[in-house]
Amino acid sequence: MKRRGRGKSILIYSGALLLALFWFGPFVLVMLASAIPEVNLTTFPAKWFRDPLNLQTYDYIFTGKVPESYEQRGALRSMISSEVRDVPRAIGNSFLVATAVMLINVVFGSLSSYAYARIRFPGRSVLFSFVLFSRLIPTVAVAIPYYLIVQRLDLINSYWALILIYSVLTLPFTTLVLTLYFRGIPEEIDEAAQIEGASHWRILRDIGIPLALPSIVGAGLFAFMLSYGEFLFGLFITTTRERRTLPVVLGGLSANTDVSWNMVMAAITLGTIPTLLLAFPVWRFMVRGLTSGAVRG
Amino acid sequence: MGFGERTVVNRTPGDNGTQPQAGAGSVGRARRSPDWLTGVIMVAPVALLIAVFFVYSTYRAVYQSTRIESPIFKPRFVGLQNYRDLLDGRFFRQASENSLVFVFTVVPVLLVLGVLVALLLNEPFRGNTALRIGMILPWALPAAVAGLVWKWIFLDSWGALNGILGRLGVIDAPIGFLSQSRWAKLAVVVVFVWTQLPLASIFLLAAVQSISPELYEAAELDGAGALGRFRTITLPGIRPMLLIVALFELLMAFTNFDLVYALTQGGPGTATTLVSYFAWAESFRKLNFGAGAAMAIMIAIAALVVILVLMRAMPKGALVDDSQ
Repeated sequence: MKRRGRGKSILIYSGALLLALFWFGPFVLVMLASAIPEVNLTTFPAKWFRDPLNLQTYDYIFTGKVPESYEQRGALRSMISSEVRDVPRAIGNSFLVATAVMLINVVFGSLSSYAYARIRFPGRSVLFSFVLFSRLIPTVAVAIPYYLIVQRLDLINSYWALILIYSVLTLPFTTLVLTLYFRGIPEEIDEAAQIEGASHWRILRDIGIPLALPSIVGAGLFAFMLSYGEFLFGLFITTTRERRTLPVVLGGLSANTDVSWNMVMAAITLGTIPTLLLAFPVWRFMVRGLTSGAVRG
Repeated sequence: MGFGERTVVNRTPGDNGTQPQAGAGSVGRARRSPDWLTGVIMVAPVALLIAVFFVYSTYRAVYQSTRIESPIFKPRFVGLQNYRDLLDGRFFRQASENSLVFVFTVVPVLLVLGVLVALLLNEPFRGNTALRIGMILPWALPAAVAGLVWKWIFLDSWGALNGILGRLGVIDAPIGFLSQSRWAKLAVVVVFVWTQLPLASIFLLAAVQSISPELYEAAELDGAGALGRFRTITLPGIRPMLLIVALFELLMAFTNFDLVYALTQGGPGTATTLVSYFAWAESFRKLNFGAGAAMAIMIAIAALVVILVLMRAMPKGALVDDSQ
């Protein structure tokens, strides 16, 4: 390898440092702030480390035990953002909905993609284009009509409403990715199976799914991630505290002007752990899937 | 379904693996349904679900956009009045202007920074892998949560940024990052770039890496400088990917809603009210469903026009390999 000049090295390392600060700084700040007593957090200039750090915010979220620093102000702080106590349940709600959407994507997405890629039936290409095209309309534009559909079905404030809507939003992408993948599998493989009399159902089960498994899992996890973090529909479909999903609870906190910020930071830290854990496999799938083969110059 | 016979007649050997099995046929035929029916059954669940939502929502949106529908007034047909009111109204024009400025700020910024980051990550340096893996964090954070995180950072009186700058002695009094229009607009841009830059740069990095190293060597032999090599080799090489990223980010920026909701709620005043946020507020804050639907239709049409224009600019087959 060629050696590079000193100037270039400095440029590269300072660029990398800036980028790291920009991208990771906020995460460090959030985790730090969740351990700082609120009286110290709301200071200018910052005196964050006047008192030792503690994890009482997390204690409050799980057990309801009010942190000491809130009592130091004499009376109990008027607003302690009791909404943060909804976070564990909200994580559960989001998890439930996102898992259901993922399963729907995996099962029905695989089925329809296999058919689009391998079976000739009337209206195939029209239907395929229609499914993809449906997703090009911005979600803000369909928000109100979708709301009315849910209302008509009497599903307001139900998990089913969210599951249906998120499936409609994620299935086109899953179908596109998996169809491209199934098309890429050499046809000789299933032709051989067909000559032996295997039905398409068996070919899909015994050949298609095992071969496409990494893509199916990737697409499923991606659907999970989008559903877990979706906010717009969650906001108006869920009308009671018990049903709110995580983004809705967190988004609600941000609308509150007198929110206890260290509580919010603890809530964010807890609530985003599942997404961040999923991020790694999904990222690899996205990057590999969308940059190899699907995109050509 | 009436088209069964036609398909059977049209079927020629060599069609996508659907040739009737000559030998095993008679046995297999009796047992299982024809291929086209299998195909229809397989695609039916997804296609039906999407069709119901698509057809009904399109119908409802068009129907509603021609009516006054709100809890206060009696519902009635008003023709194109909603559209006319919006186009004449100050607020819609303001929101459209905000959206245009926002989109045409963030997309170029993302493309330029994306290329720079891609070139940076293409160089070997210590920490390169850590940066590549870690950059998914901002991307993976739900937009509503990203808005909340940054809201605390930018907060006026005791935000993290003000606190740190004050501590360092850079400023004496807190800056109203979210309460002054100019700063607030900038804040939305910064946070949007923060969430979108990872994906933009990783795709551009993949494009940069797909360029053959021999091209660079040849150019170097010809005496081309770093800038010349970038202009004659790198840039043409990543052009299709630049277009794809531009298209994707354009749509993301145009429909961005969660972030504004969590970060600024469209304020101060209407400084950061983008069209997508305005459409939401019209329907769900003011419960003016008719005007909200009219706006939704206009947004959808604008997005489709932009998509079609950009698709034309794209080289054929860049998005989806159509060779089969």
